[in-house]
Amino acid sequence: MSRTPLRVINQIVMQTIGVLMLIPLILMFLTSMKPEAEVLNPENVVPRTWTFANYQQVLGWAEEAPFGRWFTNSVFISCAVTLGVILFSAMGAFAIKRLRVPGGSGFLTLVIASMMVPGQLFLVPLYLILSRLHWLDTPAALIVPATAGGFGLYMLSQFMEDMPKAIEEAALIDGCSPAQVFLHQTLPLCAPAISTLAVFTFIGSWNDFMGPLVFMDSVRNYTLPVGIALYQSSYYTEYGLTLATSVLAVTPLLILFALFQRQIVSSMSASGLKD
Amino acid sequence: MSYIRQTQRAGLLFLAPYAVSFFVFAILPIVLSLVLSFMRFDLTNQSAAGFVGMDNYREAYADPYFWNAVRATLFFAIMIVPGLLVIGLSMALGMNAMARGQHQVRALIFLPAMLNVAVTGILWQWFFNGQFGLFNFLLKGLGMGPQPWLSDKGFAMPSIVLMSVWWSVGGTAIILLTALQQIPVMYFEAASLDGASTYQLFRRITLPLLKPVMSFVVITTTIAGFQMFGQAFMLTRGGPELSTRGVVQYIYETAFNSYRMGYGAAMSWMLFALIFGFGIVQLRMMRRTV
Repeated sequence: MSRTPLRVINQIVMQTIGVLMLIPLILMFLTSMKPEAEVLNPENVVPRTWTFANYQQVLGWAEEAPFGRWFTNSVFISCAVTLGVILFSAMGAFAIKRLRVPGGSGFLTLVIASMMVPGQLFLVPLYLILSRLHWLDTPAALIVPATAGGFGLYMLSQFMEDMPKAIEEAALIDGCSPAQVFLHQTLPLCAPAISTLAVFTFIGSWNDFMGPLVFMDSVRNYTLPVGIALYQSSYYTEYGLTLATSVLAVTPLLILFALFQRQIVSSMSASGLKD
Repeated sequence: MSYIRQTQRAGLLFLAPYAVSFFVFAILPIVLSLVLSFMRFDLTNQSAAGFVGMDNYREAYADPYFWNAVRATLFFAIMIVPGLLVIGLSMALGMNAMARGQHQVRALIFLPAMLNVAVTGILWQWFFNGQFGLFNFLLKGLGMGPQPWLSDKGFAMPSIVLMSVWWSVGGTAIILLTALQQIPVMYFEAASLDGASTYQLFRRITLPLLKPVMSFVVITTTIAGFQMFGQAFMLTRGGPELSTRGVVQYIYETAFNSYRMGYGAAMSWMLFALIFGFGIVQLRMMRRTV
C-alpha cells in the first residue's frame, strides 16, 4: 500500500480522467462562442474571434423555436413538480409515520412495490388518462402525474422513521393540531431530507425527455430538452446554434450542481447502499 | 380513544393528496395498461375498439420488428452493463487510492450525469459526425481514416454505448467508491501482515465485500439499459436500418406514430417480463459466483 511511485501515477491518471470527462463540456462552450465560419473547423479549439452571435440568434428565435418560452416552461414545470412532490410526500409520510393512519404501512409497501414497474409501461395508459382529463399539451400533464412517484414518500418515511418522534407526539397529545405539528416541527426537522429530495426531483423533472415528448404537442409548450432535441434536426448542421442552445439548457443545472455538489453526490452514493 | 380517532382522521386527510395521485397516476395506469394489452385500441379508429384476447401478444411474438428491437436492446445491455461495471469499478479504485483531490475528481466524473439526454446527444452527434466531427478529426491527426461512427450498422450501437458510458459512469463509480470506503482498513492491514499480495487483497477481500453493491449496480444498470430510448433517439433515430431501435422506441412509435395503443401496451408488458426475468436470473447467478 505504500509504493509511492504507483500512488503518484494513480494520482495523475485519475486527475487526467477527471479533466477528460469535462472536456466535452468545455468544447461545447468554446464552440458555441465561435462565429459560423469557424465552427466546422476544429483545428483551433479556442475561437479566433469570440462572438455572442449564436446566443443572440437562439434567444431571438420566435415562432419556429421559441427558446425563451421553452426555458420558462421548463422552469415553471420543474418548480411545480418539486413543490408538489415535496408537499404530497411529506404530508403522506407524516400521516403514515406520525399520525399512524390505519393501513399506512400496507400502503407504503404497495407504493414501494409500484416503484419496481419500469417507466416505459406507464406511457400508453398515462397518455389515455391525460387525454380523458383534457390535460394533454398543458403543463398539468407533466406536473400532476409526477407527484405520484414513490421515491419521495419512501425516502421521507424512512427519514421520519429514523428520527426521534417524542417531541411531535408530545405536541400532539398536548393538543396541538396535526397541521401545526406538521408545519412547525416535522417540516423543519426533515429539512435535510427535503432539500435532497428537492434537488433530485428538480433535476429529474428538468431532464425528463420522454414525458414532454409524448404528452406535449404544440411547439410553444415544449420543455427545453424536447424543444432543442426536435429543433436540432432542423438546424442539424449548424452546430454553433445547437451547441449554444445546449449551453443555455445546462447552465441552470451546472449552477445547481456547483451549489449542492456534496448533497447530490452523497445521496447518490446512499441510494446504492440502501438495498 | 377520541384522541386516537382524531389523529387518525387527520392522518387520512394528510395522506389523501398523495394517495389520490398515486391511485390515479400509478395504480390506474398499471391496470389500464394490462387491460389495453388484451384490446384492439387504435386512437385513429376508436369505434373499432374491443377485446381480442391474446392477439397482441401473439402478434408481437410473430413480429420480426419486435424481435429486431429486442436484439438491439440486448446488444446495448450486453455492452453497457459490463462497460459501466468495469470502468466504474476502475474509477472507484483509482479514486479510493487518491491522496488528494478525491472530491474534485468525484464531482468531475459525476458531472455528465447531470446533463439531459438531448444535450448529451447534440454534443456527441457533433463528435461522431462523419465529415467534420471531432473524433474523425482526431483520427486524422493519428494518421487514420475517418470512421462511420453512426452511419454503419456495426458501428452505431457501440457508438451509442460509448456516449452512454460517458454520460452515466459517474453514478456507478460513486456508488462503488462509497462501498469501497466502507471496507474496514484493518482487513487489508491484517492480510498484508500475513504476506498477501495486492492482487490477493483485491481478489479475496475487496471483490467479495463489494459483491452486494456490485450486484445492485448490475441489476439497476440492466433495468435502465433495457429501457434505453433517448440516446438512440438523439443520435440515430434508431437507424441505420433499425439496427439501434430498441424496444422502448418501437413501443413509442407503435403507440404514438401508428396510434396502436393496445399493441404498444402488450409490448410494454413483454419488455417488463424480459426485464423481470433477467433480474431474477442475475440475482440467482450473483448469489453463487463472486
